[in-house]
Amino acid sequence: MDIQNCSVAERLGSADAEVRRLAVIDLPYGDEDDIVPLLLPRLADPDASVRTEAVRALEGYEEPEVVSALAPMLLDADADVRAAAGVVLSELKESASAVPLLPFLRGHSAEVRMLALRAVRALRVPEAFAPAMEALSDTDAGVRREAVGVLGYLRMPEAIGALAQVAALDADADVRRIAIGAIGYSSEVSVLPALTRGLADTSWMVRDEAAQTLGKLRLGLAIPDLIRAMHDEYWQVRVKAARALGLLKAVAALPALIEALTHTIGNVRKEAAIALGEIADPRAIPALEAALGDADPDVRKLSRLALTAITLAQK
Amino acid sequence: MKRIDLEFDLVVIGGGTGGPMAAVKAKEKNPKLRVLLVDKANVKRSGAISMGMDGLNNAVIPGHATPEQYVKEITIANDGIVDQEAVMAYAANSFDMINQLDQWGVKFEKDETGDYAVRKVHHLGSYVLPMPEGHHMKKILYRQLKKARVEVTNRVVVTRVLTGADGEVVAVMGFDCRTADTYVIRTKAAVLCTGAAGRIGLPASGYLMGTYENPTNCGDGHAMAYHAGADLANLECFQINPLIKDYNGPACAYVTGPFGGFTANSKGERFIECDYWSGQMMMEFYNELEGGNGPVFLKLDHLAEETIQEIETILHTNERPSRGRFHENRGNDYRKQMVEMHISEIGFCSGHSASGIHTNAMGETSVPGLYAAGDCASVPHNYMLGAFVYGRLCGENAAAYCAGHGQGVVDAGDVAAEERRILAPLGRTDGLTPYQIEYKTRRLVNDYLQPPKITRKYEIALRRFDEIREDAESMFAANPHELMRAMEAHSILDCAEMAARASMFRTESRWGLYHYFLDHPERDDENWFCHSLLSKSAEGRMQMRKKAIEPYIVPIDEEERSAYQRLRVAHNAEAA
Amino acid sequence: MTIATTQTQVPVNVDNDKCIAEKGCTVCVDVCPLDVLAIDMLTKKAFMKFDECWYCLPCETDCPTGAVSVSIPYLLR
Repeated sequence: MDIQNCSVAERLGSADAEVRRLAVIDLPYGDEDDIVPLLLPRLADPDASVRTEAVRALEGYEEPEVVSALAPMLLDADADVRAAAGVVLSELKESASAVPLLPFLRGHSAEVRMLALRAVRALRVPEAFAPAMEALSDTDAGVRREAVGVLGYLRMPEAIGALAQVAALDADADVRRIAIGAIGYSSEVSVLPALTRGLADTSWMVRDEAAQTLGKLRLGLAIPDLIRAMHDEYWQVRVKAARALGLLKAVAALPALIEALTHTIGNVRKEAAIALGEIADPRAIPALEAALGDADPDVRKLSRLALTAITLAQK
Repeated sequence: MKRIDLEFDLVVIGGGTGGPMAAVKAKEKNPKLRVLLVDKANVKRSGAISMGMDGLNNAVIPGHATPEQYVKEITIANDGIVDQEAVMAYAANSFDMINQLDQWGVKFEKDETGDYAVRKVHHLGSYVLPMPEGHHMKKILYRQLKKARVEVTNRVVVTRVLTGADGEVVAVMGFDCRTADTYVIRTKAAVLCTGAAGRIGLPASGYLMGTYENPTNCGDGHAMAYHAGADLANLECFQINPLIKDYNGPACAYVTGPFGGFTANSKGERFIECDYWSGQMMMEFYNELEGGNGPVFLKLDHLAEETIQEIETILHTNERPSRGRFHENRGNDYRKQMVEMHISEIGFCSGHSASGIHTNAMGETSVPGLYAAGDCASVPHNYMLGAFVYGRLCGENAAAYCAGHGQGVVDAGDVAAEERRILAPLGRTDGLTPYQIEYKTRRLVNDYLQPPKITRKYEIALRRFDEIREDAESMFAANPHELMRAMEAHSILDCAEMAARASMFRTESRWGLYHYFLDHPERDDENWFCHSLLSKSAEGRMQMRKKAIEPYIVPIDEEERSAYQRLRVAHNAEAA
Repeated sequence: MTIATTQTQVPVNVDNDKCIAEKGCTVCVDVCPLDVLAIDMLTKKAFMKFDECWYCLPCETDCPTGAVSVSIPYLLR
């Protein structure tokens, strides 16, 4: 029998699992207009590799019957199927799709909870709030990471306190980093302690995120901490701190920024020049004029711009 | 070998980026429209983004940049030679397209609160939006084609657009590269989405298919538009790109930029003054490369381990994933040493520069019923997002055109002539191979057309191209696959001649390295502040003419222009 | 006139033990933008028929059994 000449239905019904799997792989690129009815039965295929491909082939089909059929695949006996289901479900866009996912946010294994939380994140449904708040104290870091993500996307004021606590105290650096970013939707002063504490975190990536978030929120009370961050051992953190100080027009940061104009890394000098232009204080003029002779053309260019900004501000 | 006759309302040629978008949007506009998408490869993995893309280079997102700022920036970056209305059509529709793609499942980078993680890389007005999982792009496009019920035909090479008595589109012709069956497809309208002309020059390695662009993008569309009577604009504004030496793929300094990476000279220092990806930037690159501070490198060795891992994940899984394998073989480690860079062979590509089939803000070419989108069309600096936006505009406008027009009359003589032209190489048993014709054309392009441009060299090139044209009449193909290469060799030769004629026409220098003409080293706004258009004369030869720049809709006053110059050009004292 | 064939080491390698072309698989052949891969009618396995590789990797990435591997040729290495 020549397999190329078989119908899709024949291939999907073949006794050979590999033939069935290939038929599933080909479906999204074949002539059949409506592939969903052909794929759904394959989610119950006895062979795990066929189920995996069937899950993948359903990506982007958000009809209720598809979502309802895919959600339980998170409990499949095979790890590849579960992972594929997690990826495909995380692509969902419509809030109605959250309904079949909610039962998987609690109970089950840590892996299932993690994948289900990730899947509901972009759907932004209030029903996910309570399970996500609970999951902030999960023993599994992956689950906590996803729970923080859900709350960051939801942007509800009620979550701020809990997220700030995670940002300060979680044992996992990546969870702390994401929590710092996730509170970036609230400029309430109550988030300040968490963010300034983040600037002194042991992980440079948490410090980096904290400096960036402070810039985004324009929290002026953080200026002294940001000035301290201008001496962080990681130049990356100094770049973000300089950016935040510029956005905050922090005159108090002049000495630290002027000092940064002679840092060995060009990226730091460049960011310091930008910030000095934003602050537009004439006391920075001599340092910026010296920077016009910098070896780095970007630093020269931005120093020129900063000097122009200072001149304009004085008029 | 047989002849296949088909009839559609709209044929989209090229299923890479703009093509699928055009086909889907035409169907959305009119679901009854009979739309065919043809690709010489397989739409599943065809075109410049066959392995996806790592980000949007030119996102115009509210709150970060305005369409007006973007239009100004592109106008200045292109030395003023732009149709601002066409650039504005991109800018004004760019954010809707980002949201459309997001809705379709394209994953743009977002921060922890779900906002797009937009990154500023230029000082003026355009932004990068990373797509760390951009390798799913083609799968997402295919799904939309299926949902919109677009018919797809793969492995058919389209060779000509046939026109009717009034010069309008009436059919497209081509052949199957596996069976050599010829296709005559009657249609009311066609959209060219054939990508860059990336196989005009020869890569420094000498390997024919080691091009910067996907080698399928060899200028078929440019040649087809020319033979159908369309205008092509500013072809002397070549595309030349920075790349990883020997590997010949993008180094992606713009991806690494927001992470703190940069293009450096041999001292490990930045040297690029220019603020935007432009011919001026490439001139600075070229000067450094050829000067005492060369060669040029991508510098990442000052970044933190975590950052480098993130960069590796992005660069080694998207667009050109074999980059990682190349570095591994070479023993290149971003952590330990800088990566040597070089410049690419020349090409036509509006994605990064400004030349191509002339189109207006509606995506129309000068031939009724013929549209063009993406790297083959003339809207400057369009990148991937521009191909999508103009794909949409072409699809929608072509659908509207189809509603007001019937099928045209196809001239049987035209069909017979093209069928003969296509099948001729298969009918010969002896002669020159397509490989020989292509190699010689491209070698001569490097020898004579690569900037800096010199009149005498260009004259020699034109004479050699004429000789190759005669030789090409004896080209033979042993099978349908070689027939594809033979037909491509004709397109490449057409493009090489177009590159030469357009360059000789514009007797000034402009766009930095792209049109650096040693016989006319100065920019001459008095005589050359205009587009140049190339078209086919009544005698069937290439002719050139000037076209006035369309009135600016976003005026750029002298102060802004000089502010940009101040920003861009270092004073000599500072450079010393 | 005689046409020569020049020997060269091809970049796309197919592990015949893993390749399942005989079961109807044409994934690598389908995804190659330059159409340089084919199924050998005798062995029923995929192979590189034309030396025109762009090293874009869909053949390797999309192969359902991991049978395809692409190496950077000596010229570029």
